[in-house]
Amino acid sequence: MKNLNSLFAAWIAVWAVFFVYEIALARRLARLREEVDSLKQRLRGGS
Amino acid sequence: MSDARAALIILAKELRLELRTRELVGATIVFALVVVVLFNFAFDPTASEARRFGPGLLWIAFLFAGSLLLNPSFARENQNDTLDALRLAPVSPFAIVAGKMLANFLFMSLVEFVLIPVFSVLYNVSLLSVVGRLILVVALGTAGLVVTGTVFSAISAHARMRELLLPLLLLPLLAPLLIASVEATASLMQDPSALDRTWVTFLAGFDIVFLTASWLLSGFLVEE
Amino acid sequence: MRKFKIHAAASLLVGALVILSGYAALFIAPEERTMGLIQRIFYMHLPAWISMFTAFTVAVVANIAYLRSRRLKWDWLGVASVEVGIVCGTIGLITGPIWAHPVWGVWWTWDARLTTTFILWLLYISYLLLRHLVDSPERRAQLSAVYGIFAYLDVPLVYVSNRLWRTTHPQPVFFGGANSGIDPTMSKVASLCIYAFLGVMILVLVQRYTVERLSHEIEDLRVQLDSRDSDQSVAPRYSSEGRAR
Repeated sequence: MKNLNSLFAAWIAVWAVFFVYEIALARRLARLREEVDSLKQRLRGGS
Repeated sequence: MSDARAALIILAKELRLELRTRELVGATIVFALVVVVLFNFAFDPTASEARRFGPGLLWIAFLFAGSLLLNPSFARENQNDTLDALRLAPVSPFAIVAGKMLANFLFMSLVEFVLIPVFSVLYNVSLLSVVGRLILVVALGTAGLVVTGTVFSAISAHARMRELLLPLLLLPLLAPLLIASVEATASLMQDPSALDRTWVTFLAGFDIVFLTASWLLSGFLVEE
Repeated sequence: MRKFKIHAAASLLVGALVILSGYAALFIAPEERTMGLIQRIFYMHLPAWISMFTAFTVAVVANIAYLRSRRLKWDWLGVASVEVGIVCGTIGLITGPIWAHPVWGVWWTWDARLTTTFILWLLYISYLLLRHLVDSPERRAQLSAVYGIFAYLDVPLVYVSNRLWRTTHPQPVFFGGANSGIDPTMSKVASLCIYAFLGVMILVLVQRYTVERLSHEIEDLRVQLDSRDSDQSVAPRYSSEGRAR
């Protein structure tokens, strides 16, 4: 089991980078969809 | 009006502007000198170390100095919207870009013309025997620097923080040019001095690639 | 609804690929003779670089397409693929040293391939920085497209110059060098991992693209709202310029 720590560290690092980016992206996407919907509502609803 | 003639007219305008204000080339020469002097404090090189690291130092100095010198190329046009006036002229966009490239080439050559002898004296590296071939290598390297730098000056003229942006765009891109120029210069400074054909060919290739790209894309650089 | 179904199906497929490739990398691939367990980082490391390079290739195609058509959707694809490519490159740059240090005793070496990929990574970070510093969307699209093309043209030049250089100034070469053979099972597992990684990359890229598209749509909707509101009042209450990004 030589170097299991390093393999594990790499595995963690890969998933960490992926998840940080993916979660930030998903949140931004959700916020944007919400805003599009609200703006469309306002346009339809009149002043 | 033919492109070549237009480019030369732009070149003349740039030269006249620089002669009138004299701010650019002088400041750049001083900056490059400072880099060369700081090298001494940072490394305190022996004669053989100076010979070994000299080419690297010279080209780093040229790249850094070039990044500063190339910026105003297009940024200056922003002040009085003079680029609009150029755009209205019946010349191809590449003529405008090429005129500026030629001007920048001349300015950088001036800087190098001062720096190389100074370096030679300060670090006791004799270059007289290889002057001809050194001029070839330096010209090819400078051409690459100037072609890409002028294009990036046009790009960063429209951006914020352009003085910082231009080097950030330019220097990573010029890594191959730096390697090639340093290696070619180093082989000239060795004891049986030799002109390294591989690196000189590479430099020429580099210049051709980016000159062609600039020519194809110049329309987008000068546009509204 | 159909779009959602396609996306869900794709996500499931990619998810399955990831699990499969993970299992294969850990249990199916044979153990490497000299390095042992840690060599399995290779099955994450190589796909990261390949995905980065694929993403940058997609980006330059998008750049060229933008300049020819002036349709902003190509710009959205450009920035999405560059950003995703940089994330892939970051994974490559992290897994590399983690692998290198226990095995070769050094965190980094300036051999041709490592140096090339590092420079690429920097080059495209500059692309994102350029975009950040230009406010008008059309100008930003145009300028970054031109820069993107220049950056991509540099890629072969960077690689060739580094290879030439490293033949005269050699450095310890990681990962077996350019011509080392590879065991066929390892090769199959590596391919599986590459497909899995590319699959994830494409899914994330689509998301990032959608972010750009929606941002643009929001600007459009805001402008519509502003012009409608200002039609109905004496003076506009706020300017209709979108926020700078």
